Amino acid sequence: MSDEIIRIEHLYKRFGHVVALDDVSLSVKRGEVVVIIGPSGAGKSTLLRCINHLEKPDRGTIIVDGIPLTHEKANINKIRAEVGMVFQQFNLFPHLTALENITLAQIVVRKRSRQEAERIAMELLEKVGIPDKAHAYPAQLSGGQQQRVAIARALAMQPKIMLFDEPTSALDPEMIKEVLDVMLQLAREGMTMVVVSHEMGFVKAAADRIIFMDAGKIVEEGTVEQIFNNPREERTKAFLSKILI
Amino acid sequence: MAAEAERAIAFPTRKLRITFEVGWVLVVLSLFTILTLSQLKPQPFGRILRFLLDGVMVTMGLTVVSFAFILFIGLIGGLGRLSKIPLIYGIATLYVEIIRGIPLMVQLLYIWFALPQLMDIIGFKLKTISAFAGIGQWLIDLKLSPFAAAVMGLSICYGAYMSEIFRAGIESIPKGQMEAARSLGMSYFQAMRYVILPQAFRVILPPIGNEFVALLKDSSLVSVLAVSDLTRRGREYMARTFESLETWTMVALIYLFLTLFFSRLVRIMERRVEFEVK
Repeated sequence: MSDEIIRIEHLYKRFGHVVALDDVSLSVKRGEVVVIIGPSGAGKSTLLRCINHLEKPDRGTIIVDGIPLTHEKANINKIRAEVGMVFQQFNLFPHLTALENITLAQIVVRKRSRQEAERIAMELLEKVGIPDKAHAYPAQLSGGQQQRVAIARALAMQPKIMLFDEPTSALDPEMIKEVLDVMLQLAREGMTMVVVSHEMGFVKAAADRIIFMDAGKIVEEGTVEQIFNNPREERTKAFLSKILI
Repeated sequence: MAAEAERAIAFPTRKLRITFEVGWVLVVLSLFTILTLSQLKPQPFGRILRFLLDGVMVTMGLTVVSFAFILFIGLIGGLGRLSKIPLIYGIATLYVEIIRGIPLMVQLLYIWFALPQLMDIIGFKLKTISAFAGIGQWLIDLKLSPFAAAVMGLSICYGAYMSEIFRAGIESIPKGQMEAARSLGMSYFQAMRYVILPQAFRVILPPIGNEFVALLKDSSLVSVLAVSDLTRRGREYMARTFESLETWTMVALIYLFLTLFFSRLVRIMERRVEFEVK
């Protein structure tokens, strides 16, 4: 088994006349933390959403953990269970408590018993620092707490890869850190992560590799050092000058 | 955020409590009127009431049985209207558009008078083909009872409206909910069952309740199909005694009591669900 866990080749995707992905190829190694940056509309989220097939690419291949992501349902569901996703808007299930949010997919998809699912859920709530909120509904939680429950919900499936789609963009400033701390801890534990984020503190602390995207293409990629200190491309420089004040 | 939620809960509570009590006063008042009339003037009101009670049971039975079918058809139809498969979407849309364009009375008359002839024609055609002879004979022999025809007519008609209610309810749930469920590895139907429908149900409970009350009233139309519901019993009594004023006053009061009562029940259910969501 190679240590390559995601392989994307020549991916194309368009929405009407808008080209979202234009010949994107990318490879992610096991345990690697890859951060995607770029202006809005660059195709960052679309690329992320293609990896677990929430968007259907027009052309190109995606291989996740050796399973080619074709349009066959069996493969798609198999991959989705291996890939955890955290959304900008949390997307917790509002009719379920925090605990039930975390146990639902374990019971329905992984066929675990209720007791086992609850045990795992409580461990994860402990890990993200809010075990006392197990029986609270999402509407009773702050944004930061909701996002931490969402991370726990994804982790409960024991995914091999975690995708984060701007996980802190919808949060008040004082809540960003509590979510980033959880993500940093995951990165240290060796989780493979693909993150769309402009939180420079997190990027510098955790990213093994940064990918800069613009207009549906990968413009430049490299380590934190390379991208921030010696960007090769003009577009990268222009973008960084705007976000690094 | 917490304060906002509190305000959102506190405000409707106060408003609801007032309408809630006025509503029950009306329920009690209508029942009181029925009982007083039949006690103080047993001739003819007491006699009419006793004669109509059979009809009340038929009307309630008809409404409840039909409503079970209507909920089922509504769910299937609503999902069909949201299907990305053109054939399923097409069938569901055709059903909804055709049914909503024809008056319920005409649909009931069609099922009762026209459908048997149509089935005879199809049956005789099929009998000429040896492979389908059995089905042909079955179609010719098939005779719907008045009650079954009434349930069928009401279910098909109200099912179309209910489909649109389900569709709107499911569409009102943010797209992210389905995406989150799917990204956890749930299938489309698992996501519907555990994530989307429980939320959609809360949204559509008030319109569903209204449909039940509307169905209760519209069920009076089935009296044209020889179903002895409340309305038909009223007609029978009037034909026998010519006490038109007394008979129809009683029939109207009973319908009024039933609809007011069930409207109250729906309101209670709404309130309970509202509080659960928080």
